[in-house]
Amino acid sequence: MLTKKQKRINWILVAVLLALSVFFLFPVIWMLANSFKPDAAITADMNSIAAFIPPALNGNFFENYVSIITDTNFLRYMVNTLLYAAILIVLSIIVNGLAGYALAKINFPFRDQWLMIIIMLLIVPTETVITIHFLIIAKAGLLNTIVGYILPLIVNPFNIYLFRQVFVSLPDDVYEAAQLDFCGPVKYFFTMVLPMSKTVVATVSVFTFLNVWNDYLWPSLVFTSSDLLTAQIGLNSITSNENTTMGQTLAVITLVTIPVIIIYSLFSKQIVEGVTSTGSKEG
Amino acid sequence: MKKKNSIMGMAFFGPALVLLTIFLFLPMVLTFGFSFTDYFALNPELTHFVGLENYINIFRDDLFVQSFLNTVKFVVIIVPLQCGGALLLALAINKAAHCKKYFKVAFFVPVVMSLAVVSTLWMQIYSPEGILNTLLSHFGISAQPFIHSASQALPSIAIMSVWQGVGYQMIIFLGGLQNINPALYEAAEMDHATGWQKFRDITLPELKPLCVFVFITVTIGAFRMLVQPMVMTGGGPDHSTYTIVYDIYETGTVNWEMGLASTMAIVFTVFVVILTIIQNVLTRDKEGRKHVNKKAKAD
Repeated sequence: MLTKKQKRINWILVAVLLALSVFFLFPVIWMLANSFKPDAAITADMNSIAAFIPPALNGNFFENYVSIITDTNFLRYMVNTLLYAAILIVLSIIVNGLAGYALAKINFPFRDQWLMIIIMLLIVPTETVITIHFLIIAKAGLLNTIVGYILPLIVNPFNIYLFRQVFVSLPDDVYEAAQLDFCGPVKYFFTMVLPMSKTVVATVSVFTFLNVWNDYLWPSLVFTSSDLLTAQIGLNSITSNENTTMGQTLAVITLVTIPVIIIYSLFSKQIVEGVTSTGSKEG
Repeated sequence: MKKKNSIMGMAFFGPALVLLTIFLFLPMVLTFGFSFTDYFALNPELTHFVGLENYINIFRDDLFVQSFLNTVKFVVIIVPLQCGGALLLALAINKAAHCKKYFKVAFFVPVVMSLAVVSTLWMQIYSPEGILNTLLSHFGISAQPFIHSASQALPSIAIMSVWQGVGYQMIIFLGGLQNINPALYEAAEMDHATGWQKFRDITLPELKPLCVFVFITVTIGAFRMLVQPMVMTGGGPDHSTYTIVYDIYETGTVNWEMGLASTMAIVFTVFVVILTIIQNVLTRDKEGRKHVNKKAKAD
């Protein structure tokens, strides 16, 4: 039980944290509240507490959102990005999953050396190779294509390592039983190994989605044609247009964030576990 | 059996290996090789081997030196604020008996937003007639130029970056705090230890490996600063927010000077690798010491 003094300290602490969190969140509150206002109202409200309060619900409440969806290509950019994310999730589970399985369970030559190399590759920052990726994709004539955007993103040493760490603890006897059934190794991988490892498949999918959704540099290098843009690049091209109002800008950035919020609320447990485990494992 | 294993192994590992070769091994070799040439991607026939000339020239190039110093400034502002802020938040939230869940979510919200979203939002926040200047005017502070002035742009972007990132490290520290064995605190309470003593002798030492991890990852993150200045200031005003990675990107993909860009990329990579090795050594050292201590006790 808390003593009286501890109780008082606790209440002060909670009050300070509450005040701090409101102050901390003021940009986000301002963004949400004003994404429903025309620019005149945003400016007029700036000086009072109304700057942090959404306008009264009326016929024009969603005007900024409606104009963004009807007057710009924004919805198309969102759909593009979802499509790229879906393709990359499937490919990265197959390619990195198979590699992780080989490193965990198949005793092929130089396996331990390959594992060492994969671990060392974790250190290399993407910035080291991104200009060369651009050069390779440009020389191959794949700029402004979906293939050119996706190819360099499929393989990921971190995902290979993640899969390997999970697969290594799978029981061997299931594999032996599967071989008696004349179950081919590849079929066994897709029908037994992946379904048994739902957590790591979910983790890789979530992080692949977030990477694709939030990435800025690589899509901005590959895509110049406006039909193929991802949401982040499209957002930038819309907000840097002179005709876009402040209210519309706030509506666009809110729209881009909604899918991520959905993902975080559905998978918050996996994400937080992922975040904390990288900390404790590495540390 | 052995042969079957090597065929199967390569069949499983093969697809990844092909992609790793094209998009990691080859680019690493090319970056290293190009860094000793004057490779100009629009006219590759004229490429010469220039030895270490690029490595000397980039440090004589005012723009690269400035981008290097700017990047160091970003690191110097971001690292203490973000690491210290995350630790303080985690300690306070861990101690609070109410609204824990709300606090965790509230301080994590900016982490969820993308770099482009946060940058676009803060361009509005920092605008001359924007909400921040309006709020400041209530405290009698005159309007600040923020990202529109060469002296304030870098700190403004750095503080925004801390705002966005601090919740991530806070969650890591909270995980660490929850992993500390409560028996340690119970034992300390029996010895009538004060709150400060418990913090200094239990919490801090137990969190030390995590502090090293957070310190290095935040440092590397700040070192990679690019998207925020790209969206908000275009590296300006007067290149005051131009960073190393920005310079690599522009030299390589806008000016096509792959030789120079590769040299900068190698210098950048060396710094990142050194930081990662320091982290590994520091945390391994800790485990090593623990091991030695255990052994000493056993003897």
